[in-house]
Amino acid sequence: MLVLAIDTATPQVAVALGDDGRVRGEIRLVGRRRHAEQLAPAIAYLGEQTRVRLEQLAAVAVGIGPGLFTGLRVGVTTAKVMAQTLRIPVVAVPSPDLVAYPLRHAGRLIAVVLDARRREVFHARYRPVPGGVQRVSDYAVGPAADLVAELEAGADEVLLAGDGVEPNRPQFASLDRAEEAGPEFEVPSATALVELATGRVEREEFTSPWSVQPMYLRASDAELAWGQRR
Amino acid sequence: MTDLALLTRSPTETRGVGRALAAVVRPGDVLVVAGDLGAGKTTFVQGLAEGLGVPDGIVSPTFTLAREYEGRVRLVHVDLYRLDRAQELLDLGLEDLADDAVLAVEWGDVAVAYLAPEHLEVRLAAGPDADALEHRTLALAPRGRSWVARQDALAAAVGAA
Repeated sequence: MLVLAIDTATPQVAVALGDDGRVRGEIRLVGRRRHAEQLAPAIAYLGEQTRVRLEQLAAVAVGIGPGLFTGLRVGVTTAKVMAQTLRIPVVAVPSPDLVAYPLRHAGRLIAVVLDARRREVFHARYRPVPGGVQRVSDYAVGPAADLVAELEAGADEVLLAGDGVEPNRPQFASLDRAEEAGPEFEVPSATALVELATGRVEREEFTSPWSVQPMYLRASDAELAWGQRR
Repeated sequence: MTDLALLTRSPTETRGVGRALAAVVRPGDVLVVAGDLGAGKTTFVQGLAEGLGVPDGIVSPTFTLAREYEGRVRLVHVDLYRLDRAQELLDLGLEDLADDAVLAVEWGDVAVAYLAPEHLEVRLAAGPDADALEHRTLALAPRGRSWVARQDALAAAVGAA
């Protein structure tokens, strides 16, 4: 069963192709924030090199954020269009899960912290459980200081992962039982998405392509505060 | 946090304040440019662009929503006048467009909740003398640590007391 996995919630463009949960190829392009230019060619290259035609895919999996607005729209739209054209299901997975899952053997609390810009972070906490991780908080957005306060109150040993850690290092420094997972675990893993999505396809936990939505967390349907001024 | 108040007597002087401010701004900064129609928001940003070394003149982005200019520091000039909903603002992807540029947002005060909490608010208003049609009052309000830290440099650059 072939699954294509896409995550564009951070400055990274990540694509992986898996067969029964094993990755046959993965492409990661980091830091240029050229999601719209890079995603489709990356998918095409991956297909060519693994000798897989898009028509053979059983499902497409996508990280739905929270994350960068522009990147998310590119990834989620691409996944929806592919699913609709190929008539295959979509598996939607929150992107912080894809940072936490590769750390499932860490043996302690995992705090995923992604850079939300505007001096805020997206964050979620996980505990390792047999075969994966279990989320133990809501997905949230706010100043890193809020997360630090919550972690201080919890007094757990914690592993910090995600690209929101480094820019807020001075604040996390006040935690004495925290350690950084390091650069390998800064961004969502498309390989993790292949593994997670394959299980969900087998259990038929899909979302209709029509209803897949990025998770923005910041309210976006609000009206701007024009009042009587226009 | 002390606001700086300035009086300009002509569009040229308003532009001069923008030009002077260029000495203080850095990549990643957000300027919320507030004021009614005709208050001189675009004039102010034109001065800023000159100060940042943008070679060609800039025009109001009211219809294009956002324009980018290459200067000593890249400038992203945005006008929210045509926008109604926060979603439309987020659709511009300013977080991606401007994290290594100076972002100047006309009418930014209507969307301040969606912009960086650390910013400089530049508010332009006619007056105080209603007969002096070209006079403008400019209030510069630093918001957040990074701007408060630059308050003195800011005052020195724009020549405020």
